[in-house]
Amino acid sequence: MTQPERLPVALMVNGETQEVLIEAEATLLSVLREHLQLTGSKRGCNQGVCGACTVLIDGRAGRSCLALAATLAEAEITTIEGIRDDPVGARVIAALVEGAAVQCGFCTPGMVIALTELLRAKDRPDLAEIRDALSGNLCRCTGYQKIVAAALTLASNGHGE
Amino acid sequence: MANEIMKIVGASLPRLEGMDKASGSAVYVEDLYRPGMLHGALLLSPHPHARIVSCDTSRAAALPGVRAVVCGSDFPERRVGVFVKDEVILAQGKVRYAGEPVAAVAARSLAIARAAAALIVVEYEPLPAVLSIDQALAANAPLVHENLERYVFRMPARARRNIIWEVDLAQGDVDAAWAQCDAIVEGIYETQAQYHAYLETNGVLAEADQSGNLTVWASCQSVHHVQTRIAEELGLPMSKIRVAVPRVGGAFGGKHASNLHSIAAALALKAKAPVKLVLTRTEDFEMQRSRHPVRIHLRTGARSDGTILAREARLLFDGGAYADESPAVMSFASLMVRGCYRIPHVRVHGTAVYTNKLRAGSFRAFGNPQATFAGESQIDELALKLGIDPVALRRKNLMQDGDYWIGGHRVAVCSAGRCLDRLIESVRAAPPLPPPRRERRRGIGYSMLASICGLMGTSASVHLRGDGTVALSTGVVDIGQGSDTTLAQICAELLGLPIESVSYGAPDTAVSPYNWKTAASRSTYMTGRAVAGGSNHLKEQILRHAADMLESAEADLEFRSGGRVGVVGVPGRELSFAQIAQHSLYVAGGPIIGVSGLVFDGPPFDPKRATVERFAFDNLGVYIFGAQAVEVEVDEATGQVAVLRAWSAHDVGRAINPASVEGQIQGAFVQGLGYALTEEMVWNDGRLINPSLAEYAVPGIEDVPFGVHPIILEEPEPTGPFGAKGVGEPALSGVAAAIANAIAQAFNGARPRRLPMTPERVLDAIEPPAGQA
Amino acid sequence: MKLHLPESLDEAVALLQTYEEARCLAGGQTLVAMLNANLLFPDALIGLKRIKSLDGIERKADGAVAIGAMTPHRAIAESSQFGAAQAILGEAARGIAHPPIRNFGTIGGSIAHADPAADLPTALAAAAATVEIYGPKGARTVPVEDFFVSYLTTVLEPGEIVTCIHVPRGPDAARCAYYKLSRIAGDLAILSVAVVVAIQDGICTEARIALGGCGPTPIRLTAADRALVGEPISDRSIARASEALAAECRPFDDFRATARYRLRVMPRIVRRTILSAAGRA
Repeated sequence: MTQPERLPVALMVNGETQEVLIEAEATLLSVLREHLQLTGSKRGCNQGVCGACTVLIDGRAGRSCLALAATLAEAEITTIEGIRDDPVGARVIAALVEGAAVQCGFCTPGMVIALTELLRAKDRPDLAEIRDALSGNLCRCTGYQKIVAAALTLASNGHGE
Repeated sequence: MANEIMKIVGASLPRLEGMDKASGSAVYVEDLYRPGMLHGALLLSPHPHARIVSCDTSRAAALPGVRAVVCGSDFPERRVGVFVKDEVILAQGKVRYAGEPVAAVAARSLAIARAAAALIVVEYEPLPAVLSIDQALAANAPLVHENLERYVFRMPARARRNIIWEVDLAQGDVDAAWAQCDAIVEGIYETQAQYHAYLETNGVLAEADQSGNLTVWASCQSVHHVQTRIAEELGLPMSKIRVAVPRVGGAFGGKHASNLHSIAAALALKAKAPVKLVLTRTEDFEMQRSRHPVRIHLRTGARSDGTILAREARLLFDGGAYADESPAVMSFASLMVRGCYRIPHVRVHGTAVYTNKLRAGSFRAFGNPQATFAGESQIDELALKLGIDPVALRRKNLMQDGDYWIGGHRVAVCSAGRCLDRLIESVRAAPPLPPPRRERRRGIGYSMLASICGLMGTSASVHLRGDGTVALSTGVVDIGQGSDTTLAQICAELLGLPIESVSYGAPDTAVSPYNWKTAASRSTYMTGRAVAGGSNHLKEQILRHAADMLESAEADLEFRSGGRVGVVGVPGRELSFAQIAQHSLYVAGGPIIGVSGLVFDGPPFDPKRATVERFAFDNLGVYIFGAQAVEVEVDEATGQVAVLRAWSAHDVGRAINPASVEGQIQGAFVQGLGYALTEEMVWNDGRLINPSLAEYAVPGIEDVPFGVHPIILEEPEPTGPFGAKGVGEPALSGVAAAIANAIAQAFNGARPRRLPMTPERVLDAIEPPAGQA
Repeated sequence: MKLHLPESLDEAVALLQTYEEARCLAGGQTLVAMLNANLLFPDALIGLKRIKSLDGIERKADGAVAIGAMTPHRAIAESSQFGAAQAILGEAARGIAHPPIRNFGTIGGSIAHADPAADLPTALAAAAATVEIYGPKGARTVPVEDFFVSYLTTVLEPGEIVTCIHVPRGPDAARCAYYKLSRIAGDLAILSVAVVVAIQDGICTEARIALGGCGPTPIRLTAADRALVGEPISDRSIARASEALAAECRPFDDFRATARYRLRVMPRIVRRTILSAAGRA
């Protein structure tokens, strides 16, 4: 096997610039997990379907498994490890835990990211907006009921920014 | 607040590990790294059935960075398996399903490992494949296993040709009973292979030291079970194998075992290094397990007044290429297909067959969803034929307290009727929905369900630490259902400690007391009993120590909340658990450890009541009951079904953590919704054609109504901890039948009898194409 | 594999020609999934994100809109630039997958991938869109229906890039509707129908019906459109349109549904979608 060419890329992750040497096909998910040891973003399908790897890219929720890291030199990336210190993110996390919306937990970081994006944009989202925002995040444990209920609690308290 | 009454049992405490999971710091197997760690990759069979002519691994082994390559010949020749020893860990001689692992590689990087796996040259000679139940049973069918008669079976199974196992259950005289029936309904019900779709795929990290001792971190349902299997599969003593488990991203029966564990262990032993092997989603689809596809031929007869007299069932299970848990799943379905009704004449014949497809195995509710889909669909069909309301027909025939299940197990508390009452109450109290849009029709359907919780052995230990807090340890793996918290609640309540004073030890065969596995809705009921026993055992010893220290008789002492023991009637005279612990550790008595263990040993089948032949297990558990209702809207133009809202009533004995119980009900319901409507593994020419989450349709949040209402009944089970019984599985079982019954209610009895009820199948049922009406 | 992020179209076109097997990388929401699944092995990816001219929706004086190829679905879903006929794009875009995919997936990427079960190709066919292409021989424009050649295949020649999608203003008094039948929300369609009709004084004066998931490319037929024109929308005119469409449908069997089912429900969904469009003020 020929040695694949590696590119130096400076990624801005959770407010900190980090230099990584990566292959062109390296996804943001693999770079986060394997180069930066940020393992809170989960690999559930590597196809963009399950949502467990969702991060914020320039403030927008996106699939880290579908983003090539080498294209993100100018982007600002926020992972679950960064969102837990964010005021909205911290409230989302607390609401999910207190609302018994966490079971196996594998989908939860992605859910937190998706809800944080929503609540940053909209202080009091309604049920339809919550369901739309979470429509790309599969959960196999909860049946979604307590996740929605926790999100509604946040929304009714006006817990966005 | 010295005498504050603890209310830990019955409180919806947040998960002990909830913050860790939600904030992304919980560690799952793929998150683990070890010094010198290698990465594993697999080579899977592309053929459903083929002879392996040769396997050349030399080019793979020569690739720089490759540290170990293993293939079938690296494993003992002896076959393994729980019920039938028919399986090898990497294919030997031939492959029996597309996706069967053939070889594996460990290398410095995942990319090198995968590149090396692709360099392994396997020459196959394709064989005719058996791809359906009918093909398996055909007189001239190719044989999936040619040497079946030489295999070791756990008990006589009547295995022959492609038949793995046959079960017979009978009571009364079915043949004579039909003549007394005024109405008989008969139908064939077919179910599909469902994929577990845990969000985390199966994965393992195996490490071997220089002396050949293995440490295995597995995403699994039981460290003890995985240890047992690796020992058998590799022919090693259990003393050489330590299995531990990080957090598990869902399992649902699909992680009770995997070839992966022993493959990674073999690579690690060969490379003398740690090897991480995590399945891609497609590999997980192709090589792990599915729920059994089943065809059930069912017949039920009743008198005109609605008294059900007879039911006869023939169940055909497609077990796939290896027997795995098929004998047990098929046995359990055969036991459950009668339903929770008084039916005097019953005959059930179950058969599991081999096919050249992915092995089917254990999956939440274990054969019950198939049996309940058929059984409860047919109750509604019978009601229609008799002109009786389906709920009334159920009420008339339901088992009552003290009745016997087929086979002769006495059900002292049969809460089925009370579950139905509570269910109907809730359905009636629900506000009506706005009328449907054009071309849509609504229906409400019902299903009863029964199950068991129990099985096998378990244990717990409770250590009193030097500061008066306790270390609870069991072998139970929390696969997401919340057992860490629930078991800690039981312990804390009994010891009068706040939940923060109880830690739950991560299961590890090196230190955790034995537990069979997280399965069969058994953790709260079975291990909860062990935790209660261990906690009480600890209290006995604390009391003995305290009596010495306080120079009082044990009878004069009482436990006070917050972890103290005092002299009855003397408020100031007391010791904290910390003082007692310190005394035990440094002065007298020795460390205080409470232990308890048990095996489920309820009464066996009663041969005087029923014929039970070749039933795969001896002892089951206590019976649990529930009732479900689903309101659907059917698009009559397309056949598409939307679930609008649902109710699911369950007798859980006692809800130790009500929010967790609700979560189990809702989660199982929605997994049942996917089973009923959208999920199906599809094979074409023996190859799975939808092995990804983009192709296999798992319901998302917009496919599920915000309105799955759990209803909890608490009728204490005398043997359960605080009266608790299991709840993990049952809410999955009745969903498909309730939806089918709702469709039938909306369309004058027209119903699909095949799962999933895709728009196409529903449309074919409600508007049969010309010529098929 | 090499990765390039050119700043200009000419540079991108030149790079595409440098390699035997180079692919344009737009939002990556399909392409990277295919790379991850080892379904593609390109020599190079030419990322288009730095070419500023490719992003954004612009409304022209004549009411037409120009949608840059790199415009994400979300911008289309939320855009207020569309007229009554063009609004079908917004409706279709709102049903694509889910928000994270809509945040990054682009219109250019979607049509260049040419999956007949995707939403935008069908909606663009109903909207009479044209595709602007730039390549070694300069720019050219093709009607969207000619752009799709067969399953996952377009008219793009080596070195060519989709740069812009032009959507005409559409007829006066236009109304539109998009209907997607899918197994689960956000999935690719089992079958989809896009309808733009103009109704003046109760008479249908213009119509464009497009079908997705009914063959290797989106299906649009002048004969079917004509069946609606010149009279009020009625069951009869709809039935004529469906009949004409049925003759052209070439659906396949796949794990989403059988061809037989698609043929069976097509006329019903066409009817439902036309009535929905017609009923819309």
